[in-house]
Amino acid sequence: MNVDGLDASILGPAMAAGLLVLVTHVPLGREVLRRGIIFIDLAIAQIAGVGVLAAHSLHLAHDGLAVQAIAYASAIAGALLLFACERRWPEVQEAIIGCTFIMAASAGVLLLAGNPQGGEHLRELLVGQILWVDYHSLLPVAVLYAGVLVCWRLLQGERNRLLFYMLFAVTVTASVQLVGVYLVFASLIIPALAVRRCTAGAVFRGLLVGVCGYAVGLLMSALLDLPSGAVIVLALGMLAIVFSSLWHCDGAVRTGRSR
Amino acid sequence: MNNFTRTITLLLAFVALPATAEVRVFACEPEWAALAGEIGGDLVSADSATTGLQDVHHIDARPSLIARLRQADLLVCTGAGLEAGWLPVLLRRANNARVQPGKPGYMEATTYVGMLGRPERVDRSAGDIHAQGNPHIQLDARNFLAVADELADRLAQIDPANAAQYRAGLADFRQRWQAALDGWSRDTASLQGMPIVVHHDAWVYLVDWLQLQQLATLEPLPGVPPSSSHLSRLLQQLEGSDAAAIIHSSYQSPRAANWLAERTSLPVVELPATIGGTPAATDLFSLFDDITARLGTVAP
Repeated sequence: MNVDGLDASILGPAMAAGLLVLVTHVPLGREVLRRGIIFIDLAIAQIAGVGVLAAHSLHLAHDGLAVQAIAYASAIAGALLLFACERRWPEVQEAIIGCTFIMAASAGVLLLAGNPQGGEHLRELLVGQILWVDYHSLLPVAVLYAGVLVCWRLLQGERNRLLFYMLFAVTVTASVQLVGVYLVFASLIIPALAVRRCTAGAVFRGLLVGVCGYAVGLLMSALLDLPSGAVIVLALGMLAIVFSSLWHCDGAVRTGRSR
Repeated sequence: MNNFTRTITLLLAFVALPATAEVRVFACEPEWAALAGEIGGDLVSADSATTGLQDVHHIDARPSLIARLRQADLLVCTGAGLEAGWLPVLLRRANNARVQPGKPGYMEATTYVGMLGRPERVDRSAGDIHAQGNPHIQLDARNFLAVADELADRLAQIDPANAAQYRAGLADFRQRWQAALDGWSRDTASLQGMPIVVHHDAWVYLVDWLQLQQLATLEPLPGVPPSSSHLSRLLQQLEGSDAAAIIHSSYQSPRAANWLAERTSLPVVELPATIGGTPAATDLFSLFDDITARLGTVAP
């Protein structure tokens, strides 16, 4: 047991980052699960990373702002590509997403072979660590997410798939840098999975699973002195099992590409 | 004083004393924590953020790291970019004014030793090179004398009441270390000029200290798998050479070294990069005892 880490100024910013991520990822994750495209976050994040690596080898990534602009532009370009694939070949969309991920990752290895210094950028982009977050760095993300949520609310009725892909790309590019790919995947899919049969208050229940997972995970990582990201992922998974077995939701599972 | 008060007072003293009396040292690597202990003895409590079996370029964030740096009086790291991936962000999160760069509580060991591997020019094509030179200075045992001098100064500055004891601790360490250095150089006399192949370019200080001869590097760019043309050049180069061994660090997978060993029938020697890297390397002295003993097994 280690009580030194139980300090609000250490765990507070991490918890705030978790709350921010959950607010956008729980509703988006339900949509991702419904469409059956669960690896899209990994593919988009990897494409953003490759974009930054490519820019680095072309000597375009000079400062943090340029790197960010390139990361977001690459992610949106990747989202447009995946959107075009979904329109053309909807029946194999998940396979296409998986292949896109692995091809982007391999392209990254090749770019790194010529330019290993870019590796630091790739790492910063893909394996953000939740404990390194401070309140100061949360502000721009909070503003961005507020915009995403407003757009998401507005498009709810019209099933605007293109907008969904774009919003998703922007959200994931921000969250992966904040908390890393494992936590992004877990925040998207685990709460959505836990509430997939719930018809009433599903988003609220999903948020509850997520908030409890982050809180328990952060406390356990402080007490046991273990890396926080990994402990939160496991806490989310275990709490999802507990909550979903308590709730007895038995609504019809909605899948496929219609609502 | 009645019995009860005496017990409480004793208990309080027991609980409160260690927290206030010690200089708390936050070391980035185990070798600096050990060095602080050699000099300061019971006057310091030193912890390392990393272990000997991990790649110090990257660490996983744990809450206790921030908490420990927040309470630290002195931070001792290698510097020269070795911890650039995590130390700046950890310093920002810990927000401890005593250990910020420029303060007496912030010390980079590489500032006080002669650096090797300083690139003539720094550009993007040269890989994961460190502009300030190769940071793995802990593998030349001689470097610990200069770092110890500075560390004792810093401890005396931070805890002036015990300055004399730090000076005495330093003198004692210097004497024991000099004797050990003489022993190691006697033991490794036969290794002089021994040609070796290294996994990564992390052993330049060891090569320089023991006057080994580094023939080739298995993975020239850290973090990037070698290309097949590099490997075939390497095999050709080793064909007619008199290389004695392939050296790799215990924190890295031996797969690449084993691959080369299979094709060249050279022995693979796993060395601890720092304390804790092998079971025998438990302090600064046994670290170099173990390194020299392991190298001795392949001496010509």
